[in-house]
Amino acid sequence: MSRVFRWVYLGLIYAFLYVPIAVLVVYSFNSSKYSTNWQGFTLKWYGQLVSDSPLREAFVNSLVIAFASSVCATILGTLAAFAFYRYRFVGRKVLYTFIYIVMMSPDIVMGISLLMFFVTLGLATGALTLLIAHITFCLPFVVVTVYSRISGLDRSIIDVAKDLGANEMQVFRHVVMPLLMPAIIAGWLLSFTLSLDDVVVSFFTTGPSFDILPLRIYSMVRLGIKPEINALSTVMFALSLVTVTVAHLVTKEKT
Amino acid sequence: MMKRLAFLVALVLLPAALFGAARQVYVFNWTEYIDPDVLKQFEAETGIKVRYATYESNEAMFAKLKLVKKGGYDVAFPSTYYVERMRKHGLVTRLDKSKLPNLRHLNPTLMDKAYDPGNAYSVPYMWGSSAIGVNRKAVDPKTITSWNDLWNPRYKGKVLLMDDVREVFAMALRSMGYSGNTTDPVQIRLAYEKLLKLKPSVKVFNSDSPAQPFLNKEVIIGQIWGGAVYQANQESPDLVLVYPKEGAIFWVDNMVIPSSARDVDAAHLFIDFMCRPDVAKKNCEFIGYATANLTAQNMLSPKTKNHKAVYPGDETVKKGEFQADVGDAIRIYEKYWEMLKTR
Amino acid sequence: MNRGVFRFISVGSTVSWIVLFVVIPYLFVVLFSTVSYEGLISGVIDLSLDGFREICSSVFLEVCISSFSLALGATVLTLLVAYPYAYILTRLPEAVKRVMLLLMIIPFWTSSLVRTYALIILLKANGIVNSVLLYAGLIDEPLSMLYTQWSVFAGLVYTLLPFMVLPIYSSLQKLDWRLVEAARDLGATPFSVFARVVLPLTMPGLIAGSTMVFLPALGLFYIPDLLGGARSMLIGNYIKNQFLVAGNWSAGSAASVVLTLLMCLCIYGYFLSARKARTESMGGMP
Repeated sequence: MSRVFRWVYLGLIYAFLYVPIAVLVVYSFNSSKYSTNWQGFTLKWYGQLVSDSPLREAFVNSLVIAFASSVCATILGTLAAFAFYRYRFVGRKVLYTFIYIVMMSPDIVMGISLLMFFVTLGLATGALTLLIAHITFCLPFVVVTVYSRISGLDRSIIDVAKDLGANEMQVFRHVVMPLLMPAIIAGWLLSFTLSLDDVVVSFFTTGPSFDILPLRIYSMVRLGIKPEINALSTVMFALSLVTVTVAHLVTKEKT
Repeated sequence: MMKRLAFLVALVLLPAALFGAARQVYVFNWTEYIDPDVLKQFEAETGIKVRYATYESNEAMFAKLKLVKKGGYDVAFPSTYYVERMRKHGLVTRLDKSKLPNLRHLNPTLMDKAYDPGNAYSVPYMWGSSAIGVNRKAVDPKTITSWNDLWNPRYKGKVLLMDDVREVFAMALRSMGYSGNTTDPVQIRLAYEKLLKLKPSVKVFNSDSPAQPFLNKEVIIGQIWGGAVYQANQESPDLVLVYPKEGAIFWVDNMVIPSSARDVDAAHLFIDFMCRPDVAKKNCEFIGYATANLTAQNMLSPKTKNHKAVYPGDETVKKGEFQADVGDAIRIYEKYWEMLKTR
Repeated sequence: MNRGVFRFISVGSTVSWIVLFVVIPYLFVVLFSTVSYEGLISGVIDLSLDGFREICSSVFLEVCISSFSLALGATVLTLLVAYPYAYILTRLPEAVKRVMLLLMIIPFWTSSLVRTYALIILLKANGIVNSVLLYAGLIDEPLSMLYTQWSVFAGLVYTLLPFMVLPIYSSLQKLDWRLVEAARDLGATPFSVFARVVLPLTMPGLIAGSTMVFLPALGLFYIPDLLGGARSMLIGNYIKNQFLVAGNWSAGSAASVVLTLLMCLCIYGYFLSARKARTESMGGMP
């Protein structure tokens, strides 16, 4: 592939990804409340953002849940992929099939069945049940991503490490995990992304005092999605960009 | 690692623990379907903290309340026939009218409807219509008088229908002179056959933001909420609402106390507060829908009070129909809806 | 820590989480496909196959077919877009690579609903794309882009891209490029290097990505509805309507169970063919 072609292709992909985001950023300054047509410049949505504490609370809740559930799902999922790869245990293939079932289950089925399960257990819905639900639907994505990489691993690497006196934990920690790192990071990123955007499962598994951002956004349909959400997305987008830039500069200096 | 995790879990659980102290009322509603200032005012006046949780559809709210048996929500806002459906499933508590003195301010035309005779379980909050939306640049509104005009081949590929089985069938049933609440399988089938002829003309099904395809110039005629026309008119006068001669379809959002409520007294206090004319006026101005509070309605600016899309006048309301629960016949509707969508 | 303890922890956590929060809730679904909710609450459990009878119709079949073809189309398109992207990315310097990857994922932290609305603003009749084309004189009439099959696919690719890119990228990352060089030195054409060296070695990632796009896409309906005009019904709509609108939890559960069985059949078929091709270690199933 020629150099030019590569950069053109990358350019097209990023344009595809970022043009809608640019639209969203521009429309966060649109004074129109209802229409998708441009009506004039304003900063009032950012002003509302400052005073809208329920929205901010929901946003923070979302970030906390997304972070906690993606971390838990990544740990659990990596262990699971390793277990599926290395050990033989009863029901191994059946359980792995359930990983696919979760991935395919329509949200509504998963939401209702999980809520029914929590109600049967007598668990009050809230942050904890929400966290469990998010970990559960993120888990398959970590397992499948990590497993795809682990399955290509040369089993003799593990044998060599064992011969050299490493115990099971050390094999996992110092031999397997470093090799899996790109997949683990990929799994974490996917989990975080999924958790941040889930509506239906969250609706059924959260409680009355724990609202999260996607629920608030989807529940705006009655009156139309407010441009305030564009403003919030813009702020979040800017923060992500800054974080990435800073992280890049810091790691660059180190190496 | 474990310590960090424990900290995170604590962080997640902390807010719940903090707010556990004061008396609270749990409100279950659409996002910002109450003016946030009103909520603050309620908190200041009563000392009861409002916890506001949201849902995106009556259906989802119903399914959740059906599963959550205790420690649920204190006030919910079901639309029209969902009050009846919730009552049939034992999901709502009978109201204590002695705790609701402000009920006298409400509009009598919206009370004592078939979905809740005598308002034993529900109090109307906001209301509105669904009728015919027309882009007056493309279609002369004077030529539109009936639901049947949607079938005019001139508008092929330019029609919008609601993405809601009951709304669409009610429209078709009314156009044939039947009730939009029929449970007669034959009438429902006839409506389906008539809709099948409309299907090729339909560009989009949308009930969340039906004004958008009009403003985006994708459609020129179709079903639309009165409130959506009012909102669109704030920016463009091109979208016009026509009440068809067979009668428009009306909806009412109501306040009810779910049977899983934690604090029934606080719920009554909250509902009564929402019925206070000054509060109802604030909500109405914030949301832009028609208030069910007559006293508040009379306090509004003439421009809003006289906007036909919002307050259609008693004659139009009388001619129209409020949706009622159709019981198990909903499965027949749903079956034909699936067929309509897949054809 | 000896082998026993670590095995116990990893297998134990996996088994208990999946059994507790996946298998048991799923058993509720299976249960509901055969008994009614009201019956279960009141303690009168009457087994019936009404739910399955309900979905035994040409409508359900059509719904399944259109969902499968949409999911398949979305998977193929996403793959075609994602593979070259991931490939180009892996050839970049390490530091640049990381930044590029993060830049790819950041847009997905914005609500997909909000992003879909942004796509509508771009694609609508009086939207940005049409305005630009009209201004440039490339077209005389606005193109009809919204509410077509293509806007649906654009939306799906836009939503599902990272689920394809990341696994492919992570398998390309571990690719031993010396193998590629060796193949080149031996006179292989660029195409055969790709088809016979790179592609087989990245197969696990490709399969993982396709799985993570195809399976969720089966149940997805929000984006096709918004961008496609909701003129057809997908399996996600169907199941949701059974649960919420019709209040027919048996039929909704039955549809979900049938969907699961169909998928298990597909996996089983794939498994058999993979065994036949003697490439069992291609990934996917353990």
